[in-house]
Amino acid sequence: MRRTTALLALSLFLPLGFSEIAGKVAAAQAPEATGSVSGAVTDASGTPVPHAVVVLKTAAGEGVATAESDAAGKFALTHLRPGEYDLTVSGAGFAEKKVHVIVTGTPGLLDVALSPQSQPPANPSAPSLSDLGFSSQQTQADPKLQALLQKRTEMLRMHQRLGLITTIPMVATLFTGGEAKVEREGEGTATPNTRKVNDTNLNLHTALGAVTGAMYGMTASYAIRAPRVPGSHKHGAIRFHEALAWVHGPGMLATGVLGIMAYKQESSGEHVHGIASAHGPVAVITTLAYGTSMIAVSWPIHVKFWEKKQ
Amino acid sequence: MKAALLLLMVAAIPAGAQADSQWVLEQSTLSYHMSHPMHEVDGVSHAAKGKGVCHDGQCDFLIAAPVRTFDSGDTNRDLHMLETTKGAQFPMVVVKTHFPASELNDSTLYADLEVQFAGQTARYQHVAFQRSGQGKDVRITGTMPATCSDFKIERPTFLTVPIKNEIPVKVEMTWRNAE
Repeated sequence: MRRTTALLALSLFLPLGFSEIAGKVAAAQAPEATGSVSGAVTDASGTPVPHAVVVLKTAAGEGVATAESDAAGKFALTHLRPGEYDLTVSGAGFAEKKVHVIVTGTPGLLDVALSPQSQPPANPSAPSLSDLGFSSQQTQADPKLQALLQKRTEMLRMHQRLGLITTIPMVATLFTGGEAKVEREGEGTATPNTRKVNDTNLNLHTALGAVTGAMYGMTASYAIRAPRVPGSHKHGAIRFHEALAWVHGPGMLATGVLGIMAYKQESSGEHVHGIASAHGPVAVITTLAYGTSMIAVSWPIHVKFWEKKQ
Repeated sequence: MKAALLLLMVAAIPAGAQADSQWVLEQSTLSYHMSHPMHEVDGVSHAAKGKGVCHDGQCDFLIAAPVRTFDSGDTNRDLHMLETTKGAQFPMVVVKTHFPASELNDSTLYADLEVQFAGQTARYQHVAFQRSGQGKDVRITGTMPATCSDFKIERPTFLTVPIKNEIPVKVEMTWRNAE
């Protein structure tokens, strides 16, 4: 209960970042013109420098692309967004060189001459990445996959936040369920009639249930629409989280349908009967499965997290 | 006469050339540790490859592993790690080190490391590694004191609380002398 209260309290602050996240998702989807920077790395005499590391960064220092010069000192950075960057070139035995570059929508050429480092040069036969036998598929950058991962993360982040917020109306619906009845004249006497006195509790419960259903649908849609990553095989707690969706998903639908039936019976002065009387138990099971799926995706929880570490 | 000729030939070999050697990474376990008030997670990779060359009294070692091979026991977390560390754009974590060949026989080896990861390069000075040898195999163990900020990695959050900045990388490697 304390944990649920904490989750509810935390989730109150989550909507603050919604517009920012939506903007990022939109940016990831928008196609943009790309440019490239290529050239050669040489020493002061014009001799090519192989295995030099070329790193392109934004003004804020964020890495954008990297490359290693080949045997002829050639390098190429492709799929770059137009803008201003800092290009840093470092080679064994040479002083690091930084060049300010402007990337446009057309290919750019840049040759970089490195100066000798003051300390003793590294072993000329030092191993390079190409000596290790990795496949080109393993070592080459994949900007499309990076964009896919970014979109996936943003969508699952929305899924997580909406899922936490949904617990608020869900728990409230559960708590108001017990009192979701229509009060009638003469209720509890030997001669009751069907005239309604107060149906506020029933309507409140129904409204909370509707909000829960709508928010649950939005939460689920973000998980369902999040792109799948090719070549990844699911294992770990995420499988239990997803398996539980097969309990609370149909459970949420059934709760809604049974709730409508129960509402009609209650409103017409009948006692809730038949299959509609399963509305409450189904709602409880659905909520438990939903809560368990949230804990499952957070597993393993560090059992002594309240202890301060040295 | 033959013995004297052989002695002359051996004496003519430069001292540095006698120490030349090549090393190949036989087995390795690299594991990063991620700490959160509610989580303690280790991501492990056994897919690193490495090569070392000692020449003229200086050794250069290179170890690399695909970022995608680190497994924390949960696919969702690993894919999030891949995204956060720009693992598709910069798919390899590469560690270079350069040290005097004389240190190869010490039980504790101090190395200056250059680590390329997430599009950034970080340097760590004087990192201690324990060395134990058996036959042609040498076992090296140690911990690289990496942090998220070293590589400008935005710290992932859980329940709005970010992980700790420190992500130490534990290294266990077995190198084989190829010569």
